[in-house]
Amino acid sequence: MTLTSKLRLCSGAIITLFALLLIGSPIQAQTGLDVERVQRATVLVMQTRIVGNTPIITCVGSGTIVSRDGLILTNAHNTLPGANCPGDTLIISLNIRPGEPPVARYQADVVQADPGLDLALIRITRQVDGRLIDRTALALPFVELGDSESVNLDDTITVVGYPGIGNDPIVFERGTVSGFAAEPSGGDKSWIKTSASIAATMSGGGAYNQNGLLIGIPTTAPLTPNPTTGNCISVQDSNADGLINTNDVCIPSGGFINLLRPSAFVQPLLQAARLDITISFPLQSVATTSAPVTAANRPRFRYLGFSPSVNAAGMPTTIIRSLPTGSDSLYLFFDYENMTPETVYELRVNTNGIPNPNFSVSPVRWSGGQRGLWYVGSSGQPFPNGTYEFTLFIDGIAGDSARLVVGGGPDEGPAFSDIVFGLLDSSGNVTGTGYVLPTGTTASARFLYRNMNAGTPWAAIWYYEGQEVQRTDDGTVWAESDGANGTKTISVQSVTGLLPGSYRLELYVEGRLAAVSDFTLAGGQDGSFARIFSDTHFTTASSIQEALSAAPITSFSAGTSPIFAMFDWQLIGSGTLWRIDWSVDNQVFFSQTQPWSGAPTGSNFLMQLASPSGLPDGTYRLDLFIGQIQFDTAQFRVGIGQLPIDRFSSAEGIILRGRVINSVSREGVPGVSVLLISEDYSVSDFTQDWNQNQLFATATTDRNGRFEINLPLQRDVQYSVVLLAEGYLPITADGVEITDEIHPDNSPIDITLELTPE
Amino acid sequence: MSTTIIEVREAPVELTLRQRWSHYFAIIYAILAVIIGINLRDTALYATVPYSNPQVGITAFYPNHWLIDNSGNYVFRVRDMSQTGFKTAMQVNIIPINQDMTTRNILETLILNRSQTDSTFRVLSQEPIQLSDGTEATQMRSTFVASDEDPFLESIPTVVERLDVIAVQGGQAIIISFLSDAQTFESNYPRFEQFLNDIDF
Repeated sequence: MTLTSKLRLCSGAIITLFALLLIGSPIQAQTGLDVERVQRATVLVMQTRIVGNTPIITCVGSGTIVSRDGLILTNAHNTLPGANCPGDTLIISLNIRPGEPPVARYQADVVQADPGLDLALIRITRQVDGRLIDRTALALPFVELGDSESVNLDDTITVVGYPGIGNDPIVFERGTVSGFAAEPSGGDKSWIKTSASIAATMSGGGAYNQNGLLIGIPTTAPLTPNPTTGNCISVQDSNADGLINTNDVCIPSGGFINLLRPSAFVQPLLQAARLDITISFPLQSVATTSAPVTAANRPRFRYLGFSPSVNAAGMPTTIIRSLPTGSDSLYLFFDYENMTPETVYELRVNTNGIPNPNFSVSPVRWSGGQRGLWYVGSSGQPFPNGTYEFTLFIDGIAGDSARLVVGGGPDEGPAFSDIVFGLLDSSGNVTGTGYVLPTGTTASARFLYRNMNAGTPWAAIWYYEGQEVQRTDDGTVWAESDGANGTKTISVQSVTGLLPGSYRLELYVEGRLAAVSDFTLAGGQDGSFARIFSDTHFTTASSIQEALSAAPITSFSAGTSPIFAMFDWQLIGSGTLWRIDWSVDNQVFFSQTQPWSGAPTGSNFLMQLASPSGLPDGTYRLDLFIGQIQFDTAQFRVGIGQLPIDRFSSAEGIILRGRVINSVSREGVPGVSVLLISEDYSVSDFTQDWNQNQLFATATTDRNGRFEINLPLQRDVQYSVVLLAEGYLPITADGVEITDEIHPDNSPIDITLELTPE
Repeated sequence: MSTTIIEVREAPVELTLRQRWSHYFAIIYAILAVIIGINLRDTALYATVPYSNPQVGITAFYPNHWLIDNSGNYVFRVRDMSQTGFKTAMQVNIIPINQDMTTRNILETLILNRSQTDSTFRVLSQEPIQLSDGTEATQMRSTFVASDEDPFLESIPTVVERLDVIAVQGGQAIIISFLSDAQTFESNYPRFEQFLNDIDF
């Protein structure tokens, strides 16, 4: 009897088997969090290095698989080699069985990382024994990212990770969103604060909303390991002296986390990792390297002040001395110097002398530049009355602190606020983009004032790159003609021309700082606006020299690589922070802010985009920013101008798994092929051609007869199934369908199938 | 007293010609049935399906009911999905070569690539052979360990034996490979032999 005739005989009898089995599946309570999928997708990330012939664990954290081909989201600090984590190999351990410690399975490489945001995407590349893995053959359970912008105060979340350095199984910590922390790098939702109790080694794991989507990454940065403080554990005899003691490698492990880095920060990294595009700067140096820390260039904070709000440029609207009762928004501003992405900073807040975790920020990496004005604050979260003391720490050492009283009514004293900068038009109005002005001989500022009295002493001091360049005369007092409330315009001037670079205006009233704001001078004048970048264009060429003279192209054929981008620039001061954004189909996949380090004026700033298999089809856009303001944009198309659809990018669906047993002995049958046929074909179609293209997924049973279909099945789609094993009658079934009535939740379906011996 | 024993014997029955022929026919029928049965079995077992790829200029016949796949980094691959454990496979690869490359260079490249990606890869033997159409080729036997990629299943790795036949023709190297569980390699080999005899490139 041929296989085809066997299939025909069996298919009629078995055709309803799957449907019956599916109907027989236990119906579980509706829940958004697929606990098993999350458990399987949560991994332990171990950074190691070889000492002698022994791999030594140097850092440990949690991570989450975010794509079926093995992309893992975790923190940058426990993946990138650094002073506190000096390893060079990443070992990935999986949660094979619930309730058990993870098992080392793979090695991974870093593919995308942002040390400041402390996020990294690493990709599984090898088996743990070093054998290379074909990533297209991987079909790992993964989770999808949710919208962290839609997270609200008091939302229930579940934080998942490994609480120990290897012996502990995964834990699920439930808690609520207790607030948000604001920083210039990400606005009001730079951090999500939570009440969940999160151990430090869960850093890099996942925080899930009630729909089971990953909305945050629990994050804390390890301080310098110090065995005597208990912030690390030595578990191996790394120096081979026969003892495990304080002389051995100490794995950072201490402390607790109250912050989640929102998933919105992950999207560009994830998009870049999926596209597999490398962006380089062949002619210009844009990478900032940190100089060794000395007493002269030690990181520091100074000039702490408070503001109830920030403006679009990330500047304080005003400086306050107290906050009225019922206020729900407060920002701590301060200057910073000599900071690097590896610097760990922390904010501890005491209210009436008692530590207040709601407004504190646990130790995290620095996500700003080297120097400038920074803020950390929160909005939408009421501040109870009391005396608040804010203390900043750098690398675990206490620095400056400031105190603020919350309570009472609004401050009725004289105040300045809402500084904006620009050029004066013919009517005397300040015009321009607000915070980035063209170079010239004059820059003007307009600000609001209230409760001013005639004769009140006030002062305006202008700075350029930290050096005072102009101030109002000593003894300047408020003129009666200006009135108590209104707007005022002042200017800074230089007959030789104001140099391009970073400027600051400080406004004082009655000897205290009342308002402060930074602004930038760059580019040539184009009306009231600055013209900084120009002639942005793209081309392809086989060499850099050829690219510099090649004709501009706006539409490239599919698979082109490399593609070069070039632009000219003028009058940019050294150290001026500027940003490059690359996006494809309106999704940013590369964003880098760095201080300008080239000549003030020049042409052909060159960037190269390359991909091993050619740039994917899509519409690519380059945006150039200074101070949050876009100064140039250009785009090009590759292929059809639209990214290909990845049908495997969704984790939505139901996992089908089960066991195949011998109908006589009732024992599992190993090595059985389970073929799931796509909805467009039936069993008879498939057995005509036996073509892989007609299959949705395949699986093979293990030694216990267990199998798992490696792609989630979609609801209300009819699949067909073929089970094949030598020595057994095959099983076939058409019309296998999962409906809401049969299986209302997202939990896996577990079935048992019986094979009859021939 | 003497005893006389009289032995009574049934007189031998002479088969009629008809009976004799019927016996002969019965035996012939039985032999024919066995031959036809074997033939039918072989026809079913060794039934083949034609494969043709004009773009690369290959025609072949692969075993019926084997799963064909042309979506990987090979011209095509067929697998016997009814096998328990490792699925016996045959595949054809074409790699461009430069005119100075020899079969030895190609083999070295294959060995280096496979050794770097798979620490269990071992070469067993290499020898020159002649294909049925007279083409000179080289065959390499090797082994490696295959394991299920699903980390959540308890699959026991299989030792796989692999035979690669490499022929150089028209500025390209044709690599025809046979992969089977080492335990069943010899019993499965006739399939590959037939495949190799039928392939035309």
